[in-house]
Amino acid sequence: MAKNILIVDDSESIREVVSFTLQNEGHNVLVGNDGVDAQRHLTGDSIDLIITDLHMPEMDGIEFIRFVRKTNEYRTIPILFLTTESQTAKKLEAKEAGATGWIIKPFVPAKLISAINKVMR
Amino acid sequence: MDAFRQKYVEEARDFLVELEKGLLELERKPDNRGVVEQIFRIMHTLKGNSAMFGFDLIDELTHQLETIYDLIRSEQLKVSKSILDLTLHAVDHVGKLLEDPDGADSILMGRHQEILKAIRAVTGEGQPDEAKISSQGSGPASPRAGNATWYIHFHPGSGVLKNGTNPLYLVEDFQELGSFLVIPDLKGIPALEEMDPELSYCGWEIILSTDQDEDAINELFIFVEDDCSIDVQELAPIDLLSQEGFTDKARNILNDGKGEHLQALRKEVEKCFSTPKEEAASDKATQTKASVSSGTQKKNTISSIRVSSEKLDELMNLVSELVTNQASLTLVSEKSQLPEIISIAENMEKITRQLRESTFDICLIPLDTITTRFHRLVRDLSGELDKEVEFFTDGTDTELDKNMIEGLADPLMHIIRNSMDHGIESREIRESMGKAPMGKIRLSSFYSGMNVYIRVNDDGAGIDPEKLRRKAIERNLITEDTQLSRKEIYDLILLPGFSTAGKVTDVSGRGVGMDVVKRKIEDLRGSVEIESELGKGSTITIKLPLTLSIIDGLLVTLDKTYFVIQLAVVDKIYDVATSMLGVSHNRLIPLSGDMIPYVDLREDLNMEGEPPPTTKVIVVRYNDLQVGLCVDEIVGEYQAVLKPLTRLFRKQELISGATILGDGTVALVLDTNKIIDQVSARESVIAYTE
Repeated sequence: MAKNILIVDDSESIREVVSFTLQNEGHNVLVGNDGVDAQRHLTGDSIDLIITDLHMPEMDGIEFIRFVRKTNEYRTIPILFLTTESQTAKKLEAKEAGATGWIIKPFVPAKLISAINKVMR
Repeated sequence: MDAFRQKYVEEARDFLVELEKGLLELERKPDNRGVVEQIFRIMHTLKGNSAMFGFDLIDELTHQLETIYDLIRSEQLKVSKSILDLTLHAVDHVGKLLEDPDGADSILMGRHQEILKAIRAVTGEGQPDEAKISSQGSGPASPRAGNATWYIHFHPGSGVLKNGTNPLYLVEDFQELGSFLVIPDLKGIPALEEMDPELSYCGWEIILSTDQDEDAINELFIFVEDDCSIDVQELAPIDLLSQEGFTDKARNILNDGKGEHLQALRKEVEKCFSTPKEEAASDKATQTKASVSSGTQKKNTISSIRVSSEKLDELMNLVSELVTNQASLTLVSEKSQLPEIISIAENMEKITRQLRESTFDICLIPLDTITTRFHRLVRDLSGELDKEVEFFTDGTDTELDKNMIEGLADPLMHIIRNSMDHGIESREIRESMGKAPMGKIRLSSFYSGMNVYIRVNDDGAGIDPEKLRRKAIERNLITEDTQLSRKEIYDLILLPGFSTAGKVTDVSGRGVGMDVVKRKIEDLRGSVEIESELGKGSTITIKLPLTLSIIDGLLVTLDKTYFVIQLAVVDKIYDVATSMLGVSHNRLIPLSGDMIPYVDLREDLNMEGEPPPTTKVIVVRYNDLQVGLCVDEIVGEYQAVLKPLTRLFRKQELISGATILGDGTVALVLDTNKIIDQVSARESVIAYTE
């Protein structure tokens, strides 16, 4: 079943790799360059999952997660964030903000898909 | 994956430019936390991407760099010149690594190790890469010999749904590990009217038989382990669920609602070794939950994309061709006199114009894209020449044709290098002259009419016109008695074979003079102007046309030959009796009460034939000057695709190019600015003689 997945990352190459992987799985992909840009997709239409980077200009990932959690339609959708191994403090902060889980960079497609399957069917 | 790697490289280059910009800004404002954050963020992204796309050397380097800026961020380390020097070197090095990602070049690798060593010296990190040992979750879960049976108690925190977690998915995931028995623990569910649909009240108890180890089980809970109560215990090193009767008994124990299930199970396990029984685990926990709706509308919006410049050039070419063909179509449609064709042609014309404008817009990029390297140049030269110089930019968001931006970089580098070397004085001299010890160089840019101006201004020594004059005489460029205006003297600098530096230095005296700058700018159909005040500084102004290939023009005729005048400079058009023109000997004509100088193109261009009884005088404006151009007939507005003239016609200045009309006729494009320049020179002569 095709899902609508929003990817928020300021790095185009990451956006493309993630999009490519998800589209191969048959999902519909929406993209945002940062927290502010991504908000244009939060218009009340159905979004099944959000994958966001944490370090971004304008609105960073933590703030964006908080923003999504405050938006009625998206209060309980799964949100995964991209992080690196060394960032334990950030991980906790993101969880605190309302994130569902994380994907550790670098990742291979299989890892990405398995993380997604943990939070979305 | 290769396409992604290519994208990574392009993106990494952008990151490097941004980093360089950030670092230079940090040097100016070492206390600006925002800049440190920005640098850290870019490094972090670069590091993450490098690891992602297998650029391990860059990953290694940026990881170390990131540590430095993390320390600065947390105020454990202070920004210093040596750190910035090191970082800038490292940034340059990363640029080289992008071309040689595997470090095939041994010299490059030598440098790589040196830089790493230097960075570690700063961070005080002895052992490399300890943080990089991957321990994500667990690797692929290693199967162990045979199955074991586990008891798992899983009770999510009540707020788990608010994090977007669906605990049922977790429970379902146990299917992948092996056979399992699940009993929901519903004791905590309140009466319906007290229930908050956004809270989770349910828990689960699971008996799992699997060949995976404990890490694999814990891996399932990785996202929720902090806010859930989880207990994982091994019951037996064999597959109990396949033992006859165990499933029923276990179900009874778990359903009895007394708690202490683990102990009861352990007891049962002991018995079980003697009385096996089998039943398939088929129970499934069911529970209502905040359901996640799904839609299937296709939406795939991307806010910007990258396009190679060849594609843009091709687009530009095609649009130019389209504009030319559009002109033919308009002509044919008018001849046909068919209303349908005429209306189609008119629509096409409108669309073509819009297409042309958007295409131009696409090809424009801000001057900003090249200013970072000037910042860097000034910084590096400051060190080399031991001069303190501050570099400002102003209006660098001005957009220019991308081809022009490329062509501008070198000339601007040269001008700034000159300013640094010959313009700005040494600290001692500046102080003795009562100037601020720190020199200033300003790069500014702005639009005016159909032109873009780019100006480099310094507050250095300025240029001594008398010295220039003597030098020019020395080099036989002028003679002793040549009279030159101030502007003409400064223009001498732009002549080939003229170098003003007293001594040739490493920095600007590379045998390339300002004449090369002038030629390069002229290739872009621009011009260079120098102004200076001795002791106060110099200003070099580059003037460029907005676009390189298509102009909006006014098509006119002179003795059956077509000419195009840039529409943007046309102010007014008057009908004047031809007999009026011969009357005034100083070539001024009264138009709307003003005396306006005019140019009789028929005469200047040596056109034959008799002029018509009424001449059209087109008044063009340039800065504050107005000049009338006399032509026979006005044909109308015309979009001209500029084609350059051959080298043979380079010497003349009145015609800047040619264009092909719809019917194949050639029209010449008049360079009105040059004409006005000539007239104003003539005017000033008249002013002198009067």
